[in-house]
Amino acid sequence: MISPVVVALVLSASPGDLQVSHRRVNAPDGVALAVYRYQRPGVVSSLPPVVLVPDVGFSRAAWDFEGRGLARWLSATGRLVYVVELRGQGKAGPGLALTPMVTVDLPSVLDALKLERIDLVVHGWVGSLVLAVHGQSARIRRVVALNTPLFAAPPSALATAFLADGGRFSTLASSPSGARTFHELFALWAELPSGTEQAFLSTGTRDLSRPVAAELLAWMNTGDRPLGGQSVSARLAALDRPTLLLLGLADGFAPPEQCAVLRERAPGPVELHTFSRAEGGEDFSHLSMLLGREAPKKVFPRIGAFLGEAAP
Amino acid sequence: MRWGWLLLLAGCAGLRVVPLPPEAERHRPKTKDGWEIALVRYRPQGPVTGRPVLLCHGISANDRNMDLDERHSMARWFAAQGREAWTMSLRATGDSDRPDPSKGRALPIFFDDYWEHDLPTAIAHVRAVTGAESIDYAGHSMGGMIAYAYLSQGGTGLHAVATLGAPTRLDWGTGLEAILARLGPKVVSSPDVLLPSQLGAGLAAPFMTVVRDGPFQRIFYNPESTDPSTWQRLVVYGTADTAGGTARQLLALIATGRFTSKDGARDFRADMARIRTPVLVVAGKLDRVALTPAVMDGYGALGGPKRWLLITRANGALGEYGHMDLVIGERAPDEVFRPVLDFFNLHDPP
Repeated sequence: MISPVVVALVLSASPGDLQVSHRRVNAPDGVALAVYRYQRPGVVSSLPPVVLVPDVGFSRAAWDFEGRGLARWLSATGRLVYVVELRGQGKAGPGLALTPMVTVDLPSVLDALKLERIDLVVHGWVGSLVLAVHGQSARIRRVVALNTPLFAAPPSALATAFLADGGRFSTLASSPSGARTFHELFALWAELPSGTEQAFLSTGTRDLSRPVAAELLAWMNTGDRPLGGQSVSARLAALDRPTLLLLGLADGFAPPEQCAVLRERAPGPVELHTFSRAEGGEDFSHLSMLLGREAPKKVFPRIGAFLGEAAP
Repeated sequence: MRWGWLLLLAGCAGLRVVPLPPEAERHRPKTKDGWEIALVRYRPQGPVTGRPVLLCHGISANDRNMDLDERHSMARWFAAQGREAWTMSLRATGDSDRPDPSKGRALPIFFDDYWEHDLPTAIAHVRAVTGAESIDYAGHSMGGMIAYAYLSQGGTGLHAVATLGAPTRLDWGTGLEAILARLGPKVVSSPDVLLPSQLGAGLAAPFMTVVRDGPFQRIFYNPESTDPSTWQRLVVYGTADTAGGTARQLLALIATGRFTSKDGARDFRADMARIRTPVLVVAGKLDRVALTPAVMDGYGALGGPKRWLLITRANGALGEYGHMDLVIGERAPDEVFRPVLDFFNLHDPP
């Protein structure tokens, strides 16, 4: 059974302002997980809380970085928001495998927070895993999936090299060539506020463990991986929650061409939008979809509108 | 008259139509339904290294997309590698026959006319002239879609195929689609028209190098891969009027998500599973016309053997590629044409 250790810590609060609090939840195997709660005092939404899950190697910063991001944006609309860091992410304990992140950690967090009904926003490869495991859960009302891959395609040479080297973001941060690798994979053609890319690389990422990097590379190479007696793609093909699938054309880490097929495979309703500069704005990369200058104008309102719908 | 206006405009902008070189041989086979299709032949330079290659352009374009000038010519590049290369202009484009009802060449022209008539005619002619049992083929954009349709319906004579930025779905929820879906049916009020896209392009050509990050760069090419002056020349003499029937058939792809014949009876995308011709599917990472998911959709539909090639810095390219960069990009010979040739050679070792 879960034995949550609550470290309720109000990180920023003044009357009427957004309150951000942090607590720790221990998974049954003892791994510490981190949860951040965003709420405006006195604001009560009739809609369920929104849970935001970062991609592998990313942290809470993906959703809230230097005062920007979807967590604050959604909370400003009155929604109660939780950002979770699963094992291997941010301030959570070490992650040596991908599967427990979604089979153990996420349910542990939801149970500890006593969340019976949520909206879910997921990103990238971890997002695919979350949907594969929880895509039919009655606990989830609506899903927003940001570049969540499903279809097999050979990973780029750069992605292969990065993961074969252990997925060490800290190495990328320490050299110009590493910074270029990060740029090509995560921030291609991104319109980010000045300094964001380097700052995020330094403080918003965390090295993958070698086993996780190897697992991820194998997944990318084969386009699938075992999961609970089935495969990720087979389980994703059962996703029946109403889903908004948003794709950034410039995402080099979770390429849109590997993600779009979710619309066809999933039996539930999947609303698809692909961003490109052809319509103005930007193509959106893995990072700028979350923290780009255009994200609050182009991406967040779509998410807010989709999650703001009352039914089902 | 039409060319006169374009030449005038081009002259105003300090541009000129670069003529084909003396070694370009012109051929005009006739389709079964009475249209002469313009083909240009380049004989291989040096020893022959493989089968002839037929190259086909996309919508609102002509053969010069594959043969713009000496430096930007997939055709001449293949010839230089020892491959006999042929370009083709689909009906009502380039030097192919224009519509003339008095001679039995009436509008409308549909996408189906290309794969049912023009492509088989070109393939048969190249085979007859060269004596090749089968040939290789590279199609850009709709030129790739034509190959998909042709092969999916049992078309023969192609040994290996490369498609460059060829989509099989056009419903990806982009803002551009929304605009096309809304305005397209109004602009293309009837299939019985030729939309004056060539004139429009000619009028816009003088301004192509003035705006550095305008709609043309955002939609069609990436200045990091194609010099604006190259793009400008393509606009001047590489564009063609757009057949209303074809435009409507492609607009239907946006509306329905289905890649079918105009009557809906043939589902090309479903039938692509039957294709056993080796196909290399090439996509540009920042292609905002044939988005990578749209190109990947075709790759997924193919029966195989097949190979996916994404042109991007992350795979070693020196710049990102938009839609037109795949054929006229400054580094396309190294970053696109070479892998295409390697793929052809893989399936037909020299």
